[in-house]
Amino acid sequence: MLKLIGRRLLYLLPVLLAVSVLTFLVAALLPGDMAEVLLGDQATPETLAALRHDMGLDQPLLVRYFIWLSHVLQGDFGRSFRTGQTVLSAVAERLPISLELMLGAQLIGLSIGIPVAIICAVRQGSWFDRTMTGGAFGMLSVPSFLSAILLIWLFAVQFQILPATGYTPFSEDPWGNLRGFVLPALTLALGEWPVITRVLRSDMIATLQEDFIAMARAKGLKQSRILLVHALKPSSLTLVTVTGINIGRLIGGAVIVETIFAMPGIGRLLVTAIYSRDLMMLQGVVLLVASGFVMLNFIVDLLYATLDPRIRHGRG
Amino acid sequence: MGLSIDWRAVLRNTLLATAAFGLLAGSAVAQKRGGTLTVGMELDITGFDPLKVGVFDTSAYMAAALIFDTLTMLDDKGAAQPKLAVSWTSSEDLKTWTFKLRAGVKFQDGTPFNAAAVKWNIDRQKDPANKCRCAFYISNVDAVDAPDELTLIFRLNTPSSMLPETLSLPSSNNVMQSPTAIQAKGDDYNRNPVGTGPYVLKSWVAGDRMALEKNPDYWDKDRVYLDRIALKPLPDAQARFASLQSGSVDIIWHDESDSDNLKKVATMPAFTLHTYVGSGAGVSAINTKNPPLDDVNVRRALVMALDRKGIADAIYGGMPRPATNPYGEGSWVKCADDGALPYDVAKAKALIQAYGKPVKFALVVTSTPRGRAVGQVYQQMWKTIGADVSIEQIDQASFPPRAFARKFDVIGWRIIDLADPDPQMYANFHSASPVNLANYSNPELDRLLQHARVTADRTERTKDYCAISRLLNSEATWFWTFQNTYYAISKARVKGLPKMYSGVIDVSHAWLD
Repeated sequence: MLKLIGRRLLYLLPVLLAVSVLTFLVAALLPGDMAEVLLGDQATPETLAALRHDMGLDQPLLVRYFIWLSHVLQGDFGRSFRTGQTVLSAVAERLPISLELMLGAQLIGLSIGIPVAIICAVRQGSWFDRTMTGGAFGMLSVPSFLSAILLIWLFAVQFQILPATGYTPFSEDPWGNLRGFVLPALTLALGEWPVITRVLRSDMIATLQEDFIAMARAKGLKQSRILLVHALKPSSLTLVTVTGINIGRLIGGAVIVETIFAMPGIGRLLVTAIYSRDLMMLQGVVLLVASGFVMLNFIVDLLYATLDPRIRHGRG
Repeated sequence: MGLSIDWRAVLRNTLLATAAFGLLAGSAVAQKRGGTLTVGMELDITGFDPLKVGVFDTSAYMAAALIFDTLTMLDDKGAAQPKLAVSWTSSEDLKTWTFKLRAGVKFQDGTPFNAAAVKWNIDRQKDPANKCRCAFYISNVDAVDAPDELTLIFRLNTPSSMLPETLSLPSSNNVMQSPTAIQAKGDDYNRNPVGTGPYVLKSWVAGDRMALEKNPDYWDKDRVYLDRIALKPLPDAQARFASLQSGSVDIIWHDESDSDNLKKVATMPAFTLHTYVGSGAGVSAINTKNPPLDDVNVRRALVMALDRKGIADAIYGGMPRPATNPYGEGSWVKCADDGALPYDVAKAKALIQAYGKPVKFALVVTSTPRGRAVGQVYQQMWKTIGADVSIEQIDQASFPPRAFARKFDVIGWRIIDLADPDPQMYANFHSASPVNLANYSNPELDRLLQHARVTADRTERTKDYCAISRLLNSEATWFWTFQNTYYAISKARVKGLPKMYSGVIDVSHAWLD
């Protein structure tokens, strides 16, 4: 097991390096640079050149990349040129909000997706199965900015039971904090559960035809025990993969959902940084988020090993 | 979602409003004290240090109007009234302005507000070593002197007849910040501002909420009613409106692009629609150096092909008021004849045909769905007269640099609502201005702009500005699309809002009924 972790960690290094190069390039290739944004209507070729020189923007791309990377490796992600805040403290301030949002979305997604998938797999071909499979496909096609507005209209404007926008710190009002997260998390979850259902349903159908399930049935075990204990675990390998990859989708979704619901998370931080060409902030946040995603998928890889003994013992 | 107007409700509200107005006129309304007001703004505020943020946007103005004071303020007729300055006089040539400051005012950190503090603020912004983007807007100020504690002298390099009015906007140049706090807090000052204003910043969650509390030592505290104000950035217009409907915010900023909501609240007794007809307009510059736009008849044809009413109906639900000059109904400049070209497709077609060569150029719009829609409407209108227009979409941050580098054929711009037309008129249209976007030079235009700048008499200036409008319309170097109208929607119990000058919702003296 330790050897496996070590080997996987080695794979991570080139991936993270590639992430840093891509992050830097994407930020550097955005049209219009910091000097233009800072100078605005005072931008003349001379003032632009002078400011670019001051900010080191006139150096070759490669040199700028290595300067940035060497700072990052020492734990210095730089400061926002607009607010003066360090990238790390900005991320630390906003990350918990995005994490709570994504965790909530994942929980809601799984708690809708798993039961639906199990029922569909057991009652394969029934009206429930057909409605849910079709419904899942429909849900998948609804963009989050639309479902967000519909949910706001329904729960905040019509029923007035949940706030339309805004965030309350947990320390200030735990109940208010949770209430504020329901609609944004639900918006994201509406795009999550269909994926979960479709993947788990087909794996489950395959598992239910295995001999050991017939064996369990023959032993006279209860249906619920067979489904939840014997069938769910071997069927969930693809689900775990999908859940890991889905976190990437959730991060993308958070950008839109945080903007609509006015949640001060990482997504909003990114949008603001892009609009203001706050390159240090942009590079830092993207690198941190991407590294986090890579690490999460590394953990997902390790989860396989616990789920599937063949991987654990190198016979996969 | 269909929209049906309940005319009975409209009538009822109108009657109620009339009755309320009668009460207002009859006796002084008793303002109620206390309570919290939550304001839904559009954008996040990055900070308040001019050196860091350069210039404030509308959201920052709203917060600045609470935390800071300006030297002057505008009354509801648009004339300057005392605020931190109590009186002022100018020299004959309008280049030297002397202000007497209010005595006994303190910054929220306890340090005194005086002439030296004002001088320190402005000197810091103008210091070339600080490279502040804000310096551009006070480039007409040569120096500020503080001969004694409460006397302040502005020395200008160009005459300004409306300096006191100009100083009323809560911009990064005009709000007075505590020199002691700026020096003591360094990098942290930007998000921990200290002013002399009616509200003190208590807490600020980045990207979320700015919590302000009444300043107990404010120099005019009897006219400050709310205990607390919360400012929240709500970027999505529909979600912002829903937050107002569901009760979590009390007043929101809104614009004409979501006209359905504006029409809807007009029929809802629980809400008040605040409308301010500002001066200025949405405008576009035509680059007169680029063929075929160097030909005046081609430019005239483009302007004559614009069906502003049609655009308003197609994109904005018919709300915007078409503009025929750069001043608008909200300005004190009123022209009997502004020289506007008529909407005349047949004439426009004939002009393009007479030009003889193909008319082909690019239109630069913002890379938003709205920008694209507007671009496509223009494209269609110009296609009907035989012009081949391509649309180029660029994002908001690249927009000003492109304009200033003159890398465009036709580009959208805005003349914002300011008390004095001079700063923007001179900057946009004088041949020597660095932001003369149309690349157009005309000695008569320069003479008129200069004359309007150095004249104090409004009747004289109006004559100049109307002549300028006729000249610009005739030369078709720029065109005007829609006048500026600013909107706020509040719960009906929110009272005491002044006019929304420059689109700023100023809740510093608001109260809850």
